[in-house]
Amino acid sequence: MGYLNNAVITVDAILTTKGREALSRNDGSFQITQFALGDDEIDYTLYNPNHPSGSAYYGEAIDNMPLLEAFPSELQIMKYKLTTLPRGTAKLPVLDLGYAAITMKQGAQLSITPQTLNYLGNEQTFETSGYSAIIGDIRLLSTFVGQGIQSTAASNANANATVTIGTSVSKTIIGTQFNLTATTVNTLFGANRILRTTLTVTGLDSGARLTIPVTITKQSLTS
Amino acid sequence: MAFKRLDPEDFVVSSDSVTSTVWSNNNPTLNTFFTSSVQKEGSSGPYYLSIYQTASADDTAAVQFQIAYANKLGGGGINFDPNVPNVSPTTTIYGQYRTLILEDENSNFIWGDTNTGSASNDFYAISIERARYKQSLMPGTLNLVLSSSNSQYEAIHLTDNSGMVTIPDYYGTQRVYQVISGSNGVANTLTNPQGYTVNSGSYGWFCPDISTILLNAVALSGSNQGDGGVGLKTDGGSNLNAQNPIKLYQAISGSRVDNASINTFDLNCQETISSDYIFIRARNTEFNYTENPSFISGSTGEVIYPYFINNPQTFPTTVGLYNDGNDLLAVAKLSRPIQKDFTKEALVRVKLDF
Repeated sequence: MGYLNNAVITVDAILTTKGREALSRNDGSFQITQFALGDDEIDYTLYNPNHPSGSAYYGEAIDNMPLLEAFPSELQIMKYKLTTLPRGTAKLPVLDLGYAAITMKQGAQLSITPQTLNYLGNEQTFETSGYSAIIGDIRLLSTFVGQGIQSTAASNANANATVTIGTSVSKTIIGTQFNLTATTVNTLFGANRILRTTLTVTGLDSGARLTIPVTITKQSLTS
Repeated sequence: MAFKRLDPEDFVVSSDSVTSTVWSNNNPTLNTFFTSSVQKEGSSGPYYLSIYQTASADDTAAVQFQIAYANKLGGGGINFDPNVPNVSPTTTIYGQYRTLILEDENSNFIWGDTNTGSASNDFYAISIERARYKQSLMPGTLNLVLSSSNSQYEAIHLTDNSGMVTIPDYYGTQRVYQVISGSNGVANTLTNPQGYTVNSGSYGWFCPDISTILLNAVALSGSNQGDGGVGLKTDGGSNLNAQNPIKLYQAISGSRVDNASINTFDLNCQETISSDYIFIRARNTEFNYTENPSFISGSTGEVIYPYFINNPQTFPTTVGLYNDGNDLLAVAKLSRPIQKDFTKEALVRVKLDF
């Protein structure tokens, strides 16, 4: 006789800002269909494969660390996703967007074609499932469209991609190429000359992720 | 692959009942009762009396419940129009509850098995303030003590009969328990096996789904020795402001007797919370690498330790739930990291409440 396995861990989930928005839209977009695991707070430099007490202690510094509670902002959590790769992988996939940062004038257009380095034995490749791109504040773009992926999920994500509810909420699109047009709305700027947000691109197959800053500069086009 | 699709069997819907107290400050027992002269003298005064847990002028004062008196023939209230007899605020209250509960304008309220009380089928309605409860009142938690100013009458302890019946009575869609003499949903069988009065049927109805307690006016008027009442002296005379709700208020608060310490009103509420349980299964071959920047060294993507090439270790801390469009809809944090490698599988049950 022994004790039953109590290895099932139960955790309470909270809705993200995006989740609340999807729920309130009541258009079927609040439909959980997939999951990912993240390790946002883990510092792997604390892992010690040379621990004098042996392999059971390699992760000692990480195992019992206290964790922060969840943040509702979808941009501040699940930053670093765990990925499934073949055993023996020495190099992890890395994204190359061709830009380290984006600066656009009002009304300017830009196309981004992400590539993945070190994936499935290829030095440089386009992922079959494409990429997802999340703009932190959709109000800053008048066009934000993904191209190149024909799946239903991509079509749904790309439809109404630039519809804004007037507040700072993120938007996710899917594709192999992303087309951006900076907003022409002057009132968004207030007294500022520039607006800033972030663009996060994730490889849907590899899980590789890259975030770059996006800056829109005021040109006084329309109000 | 960073995202893994969930299978239909990974979703389980469960409903749990959550109970809590009704009264302000999470008090299970209300033993101080106050009214507001402003409300009493205002436009709502002829219809009901609001009861507070503290002086109504106090910053923390909040309405706990209201008392209304209902009379089928308009007795106990002043007629709206002198030329139209028997139509007063008490008729309005009566019709309101008759429509709401009986769902039949030709029916009477039946206290217990057959008793309809007075000719005017009158009753008191205690309506719990909406902000005090979550979804519905919890049967079996009602304990209401009523006292009388007359020393011949002992205080009576009222509860609902939920502990004595398997299935409540139903009027239309309305779930109804009888209000009886006893405590915690069980009758005091010394007076009557069912906890009813001797001659006037039950003490009323406990309607948990509309947070309302109806009290049989005739039963409360009876003497304790003879019929189990507290001599409430309900006045159902026509075209007069009898202020009957104040009489019940005094019986509830104990202000009709010197010692009010015995007067208490216990009540809890309940709420059914539907939860989605989502089972997150990470197989041994999955999720063993991470895009965490500290997992790699430099910008070329090499893993930080050569040991990780064949024995990668990850420490998931967060579960992200996504829709098809890769929108992060919900997120759950673990209480501590769980170690994951090619020899371990992880099973996490995520609870999502609505």
